[in-house]
Amino acid sequence: MLLDLPSTREESWRWGDPAAIAAAAGLPRGAALDADAWFLDLPGARALFVDGVLDQGRSDLRHVTMTAIHGGEHALGRRTTGNGWSIRVEANAGVELLQIVHIATGGENQLPAEIVLADGARASVVETYVGAGWSNRSTRMALGKGAKLTRAVRLLQAGGFVSLRDEVEIGAEASLIVTVLGAGDAGTRIDGAITVTGDDAFAEYGGALLTRNDQRQECAVSVRHAALNGQSKQIWRAVAADKSTASLAARVEVARDAQKTDGVQSLRGLLLQRTATVNLKPELEIFADDVKCAHGATVGELDQRALFYMQSRGIPHAKAQALLTRAFVGDAFVQIADETVREAFVADADAWLERAL
Amino acid sequence: MLKIENLHAEIDGKEILKGLSLEVNAGEVHAIMGPNGAGKSTLGYVLGGRPGYEVTAGSVTFDGVDLLELEAHERAAAGVFLGFQYPVEIPGVSNVQFLREALNAQRATRDEKPLSGGEFLKLARGQADLLGMDYDMLKRPVNVGFSGGEKKRNEMVQMGIVNPKFAILDETDSGLDIDALRVVGDGINRIMRAPDKAVLLITHYQRLLDYVEPDFVHVLADGKIVRSGGKDLAKQLESEGYVGIAA
Repeated sequence: MLLDLPSTREESWRWGDPAAIAAAAGLPRGAALDADAWFLDLPGARALFVDGVLDQGRSDLRHVTMTAIHGGEHALGRRTTGNGWSIRVEANAGVELLQIVHIATGGENQLPAEIVLADGARASVVETYVGAGWSNRSTRMALGKGAKLTRAVRLLQAGGFVSLRDEVEIGAEASLIVTVLGAGDAGTRIDGAITVTGDDAFAEYGGALLTRNDQRQECAVSVRHAALNGQSKQIWRAVAADKSTASLAARVEVARDAQKTDGVQSLRGLLLQRTATVNLKPELEIFADDVKCAHGATVGELDQRALFYMQSRGIPHAKAQALLTRAFVGDAFVQIADETVREAFVADADAWLERAL
Repeated sequence: MLKIENLHAEIDGKEILKGLSLEVNAGEVHAIMGPNGAGKSTLGYVLGGRPGYEVTAGSVTFDGVDLLELEAHERAAAGVFLGFQYPVEIPGVSNVQFLREALNAQRATRDEKPLSGGEFLKLARGQADLLGMDYDMLKRPVNVGFSGGEKKRNEMVQMGIVNPKFAILDETDSGLDIDALRVVGDGINRIMRAPDKAVLLITHYQRLLDYVEPDFVHVLADGKIVRSGGKDLAKQLESEGYVGIAA
C-alpha cells in the first residue's frame, strides 16, 4: 500500500516508520473488542468509536457533538478531514469528563477532533486506543484566556499503528496538560505542535513510551513560546526491551518577544536489554534573551546496585526490575490530577512490565 | 548455623578471599575485623549473593543448605540479612512499598501468606518507633536524601521488619555519631540477640563492640582469618593495630 507520508529523510520523520503505518493499514479486519472493559469507572460523557465510526447506541455524548472538521495541513492530520467529535465550552463554564474508547478492528481509520474552550472554560478528556489496524487522529485544541484542559491518552492497541497529530493554541493564563502512555504492542507516532500565544500560560505535554520485541514508538513534539512569561514542561520517559526502539524528539522554541519563558525538558531512556534502542533529541531554539530553559537527556540501564539491594531483601530479580522500572516511568504520570486516571496509567504500565520482563 | 569452609572468591579475576573458614553457631555474635582491602566486604557480598563475585573453591552451608546455590532473594527468604555499608538510594520507591514487597516476597518464597496492608503498617510503625525513626521517613523514597546515620538506622528498621535468623552487618557503625551508634547497637541486640539467631559484625573499630558484645573476634587479613579470640582481641587490636597481629 502506498501512503503519501513524508520520508524518513525529513528531520522531523527521522525516526518515523511509514512502512509500519502502511502495514497496519493493510491488516485484515476482525471482530471488535468489548468496549466496556476499556472505559474507566468515572462519571461523565462517553463516546465509543469503532474504526473511527461513532457507535451511537453505546455512547452518551452529552456536551459532545459530531461535526465536519478540517484536519489541518500536516501530513497525518490532513488525512483525517471529515466528520469528527467536537467539544465547545462557553466562557467560564465547565463540562464533565469525556471518555473516548477507540477500537480498531483492522485496516485504516481516520478521525478528526476539536476542543475549543472559551475564556475561563474547563474540560478534561481521557482517550483509550485498543485493537489493531492504523488509527490516525488529529485533534485541534484552542484555549481561551484562563481556560484549562487536561487530556490523558492511553495507547494500548495490541497491533498495527496509532498516529496522533495534535495542534494546540494556548491563550493567556490558560493551562494545558497532556499525558500520553504508549503501552500496547502497536507502532506509535505522537506528533504535536503546541503554541503558547497568550501571556502567563502553562503547557505540559509528556508521557511514557514502553516498547518491546521489535516494536517502534516515537514522539515528535514542539512547544513554541510566542508570548511573555510562559511556562512549559516536556517530561518524557522511554523504556525499551528486546530489539525495540523508542524515540523522543522534543523541541522548545522561544520567539524573540517571549521574554521570561520558563521551559523544562526532561527526556530519559531506560534500556532493559542492550539490544534495544532509545533515541533522544532535545532541541532548543531561543531568540529571547531573558529566559530559563532547563533540559536533560539521559539513557541508561537499571541500577545494578539497587537491583542487588532489593534482591538482598528478598525481592526476586524480575520483581525488582519491575519496581525500579515502574518508579522510572512514574515521573511522567505525576501531573495527572485524577487519581482514577493516574491509577489506570500505572496499571497499564504494570501490565506492560508483566509482559516485557 | 553457618559453616564456611576454605572459601575462595574473586572479582574480575582477582582473588580476594583465599581460603576462609568460619563457623557460626546459633546464639553467637562474631566480629570480623581487619585492615582495608582484607576482604571483609567481599565476604559479606559473597554470602549475600551479589553478582560479579565468583566463588572458585570452598563451601558455605546455612542450616545445612548449600547457601551458594541459592539466588540472592532466596538467601533472604532463608533468613540471611545483609546490612549494607553504603545503603542504596532508590528514587520513586517508598520505604513502605519496598519493605512490604520484600517481606511478602520472602513469605511467598517460604509458602507463607502475605501480610495485609494494615498488618504490615503496624509492624513497620512498631519497628520505626523502637529505632527512633520518624514514621514519615518510611513514606519517603528508600534512602533518598537520608543522612549517613539515617540510612544505617533504616537498615536496622528493615532488619527488624524482616526479622532474619542470621545477619551480616557490614560496617554498620561507619558514619554514625555516638547517639546513633547506641541506637543501632541497641537495635542489633534487641532484634538479633536470641538463642536461635546469630550475627556476623564486620567492623573496623572496637567502638560498636562496646554496645554489641561479640562472643568471638576474628582478624581477616589477605583473604583469610589469621587469628581468632574472644572480645579482648578487639581491644588488643585497637591498642596495637593490625600490623603485629595480622602478620
